[in-house]
Amino acid sequence: MRIAICGKGGSGKSTISGSLARSLARRGHTVVAVDADPNPNLGISLGVPRDTVETMKPILNALLDAGHTHNDPKPLAEDLLDHYGVDAPDGIRLVATGKIERPSDACLCCGSHNTTRQFFGELADDERVIVADLEAGLNDLIWAKPGANDVVLAVSEGSEKSVEIARRAVVVAEELGVTRIIGVANRSTSEQDAARVADALGTVEFFTVPEDPAVEHADHLGVAPMDADPASPAMVAVSELADLIVKQ
Amino acid sequence: MDEAEREARRKRREEWASATLARQTAVMDDLAGRADSAVMWAAVRRQANSYLRHLATWQRSKGYSGIDSLMDAQQGRLRDRVASAEAELAAVGDAERRDAESRLGLRLAVMGKGGAGKTVISSTISRLLARRGRNVLVADLDTNPGLVYSIGLGAADVAIPVEALEENAGSAYGWQLRSGLLPREVVERYTTVGPDGVRVTGLGKIGEADKISAKRTVVAVVQVLLGFGEPEWDVIGDLEAGPTTPFERYHAFSDDVIVVVGPAWRSAMTARRLLPMVGEGRSTTVVGNRFRHEPDHPGLAPHVRIPFDADVAEAERRGLSPLDECPDSPTIKAIEQVVDLFVSQPVHHVPTHHVPTHHVPTHHVPIHHVEVRV
Repeated sequence: MRIAICGKGGSGKSTISGSLARSLARRGHTVVAVDADPNPNLGISLGVPRDTVETMKPILNALLDAGHTHNDPKPLAEDLLDHYGVDAPDGIRLVATGKIERPSDACLCCGSHNTTRQFFGELADDERVIVADLEAGLNDLIWAKPGANDVVLAVSEGSEKSVEIARRAVVVAEELGVTRIIGVANRSTSEQDAARVADALGTVEFFTVPEDPAVEHADHLGVAPMDADPASPAMVAVSELADLIVKQ
Repeated sequence: MDEAEREARRKRREEWASATLARQTAVMDDLAGRADSAVMWAAVRRQANSYLRHLATWQRSKGYSGIDSLMDAQQGRLRDRVASAEAELAAVGDAERRDAESRLGLRLAVMGKGGAGKTVISSTISRLLARRGRNVLVADLDTNPGLVYSIGLGAADVAIPVEALEENAGSAYGWQLRSGLLPREVVERYTTVGPDGVRVTGLGKIGEADKISAKRTVVAVVQVLLGFGEPEWDVIGDLEAGPTTPFERYHAFSDDVIVVVGPAWRSAMTARRLLPMVGEGRSTTVVGNRFRHEPDHPGLAPHVRIPFDADVAEAERRGLSPLDECPDSPTIKAIEQVVDLFVSQPVHHVPTHHVPTHHVPTHHVPIHHVEVRV
């Protein structure tokens, strides 16, 4: 199974991706976490030490450092995962596709989009779950091209802007032929708030993750909410979300 | 892609770049042709310097090495423009020259992690500047919708319209600003007038049609911002979340950059990644947003700290402008302080709630260098 998580910047994509990956891994699934954001930070939400998150080499940066050019044959996604992935808690393998570090002549951003696409297209998903945390906004969703067998989570917090971007994510995912699109109201403050998001997204499946001071505190410290307080309301909700996703 | 195809693509790219240099010359001719005052000559000098700074990034890039001689010639022409403008400015008195420089207007870009508050800050700064009697152009440099809500335009479409664009196979996304159209003409004809008279423009949005229709606006909007040299206009650009748009130099037009940082650790990590991307010749100002009682991030002490305010969150929830919904919010007061960092005394609107912290003309904006430890 492949799961792509998208939404506005700050809507909680990485928090949900990381916590969801941990929940799935604890249920016995083999999980690959793909950080497709050119500003990679999924490792934090997974519980990877901050120093490791800062120093880990995303695939594209590692290939460029090794003198790899556009003309060279592209290594297999499985090999890239072996070579450039790092281990995260609960047996998860984390890989970042590309990091934009400085103004440069190489088109790193398109390259990281392509690498994300390759991961989505190539990695075998029959015996494991691939959780891809996409870049803020909708660009990456178009590049990743999830298909009929994949799951897309459109994450929104309560602001009108966030809802509008998640709504567009649903439209784009539908155009791509994704059959399972789950709307997620994150940091939800009330039932009315969640209902408003649900109405706007109009997805068949919808899930609510409540606002949770424990998650905010973990975010401030730069640690995984699943480590800080796995019994907090938001983490319990994400565990239920994991059940919902894999039950079919 | 085979060798012949790569070569053809390189050629198209070079043709586009050559035409872009000619476009710059047209902008300089137009500006200098109207120069009849110290402030116009100051504008000519700033515009030529802005193009020179941009040209330097091309000259360092391998992608344009085929037009080295053209770029050298362009550099010579722009330096001549700077020199002649300086000669004109040297002929007027010190006081008149300083006055002219202080009336140029801001060129300000806003960056940060998604959700940091870039858009609320950009749109509120724009309106506050307009309320001080200034001409303001704000550009939404994000292919995801946002700025229209925070500035008070609801779900309006402010994207640069297709009639201002044309296809060009050598341009980064296959489209560019229509040939013969000057950036100032785009601002006059093709921007939306928002609250307080702020002119609003921006990129197309993903999810309305296809990715190309959003991306085809990018080159044109960047060309407009980079070539809009009018004095007595403030230009604000609200960049897309994260490092991709700074990497692609959507902020090429800017002289000053605000990096917005929230209390979360990942927000600080993002800000530290963005700081080296601001580029030479620009000042950097760190603005902290939504702080409650959290301590500053190491090495990232903000110049202004905007407090968390539930009323702003509520305006955001409803997709309305915080400036309309909660004008007395501490958030708005703090954004006034950010404005005070960049402009001297208010013209019309005199705030009574605080004394501006800085009284510096635009050209003397303090360079807020921030120590970066990654």
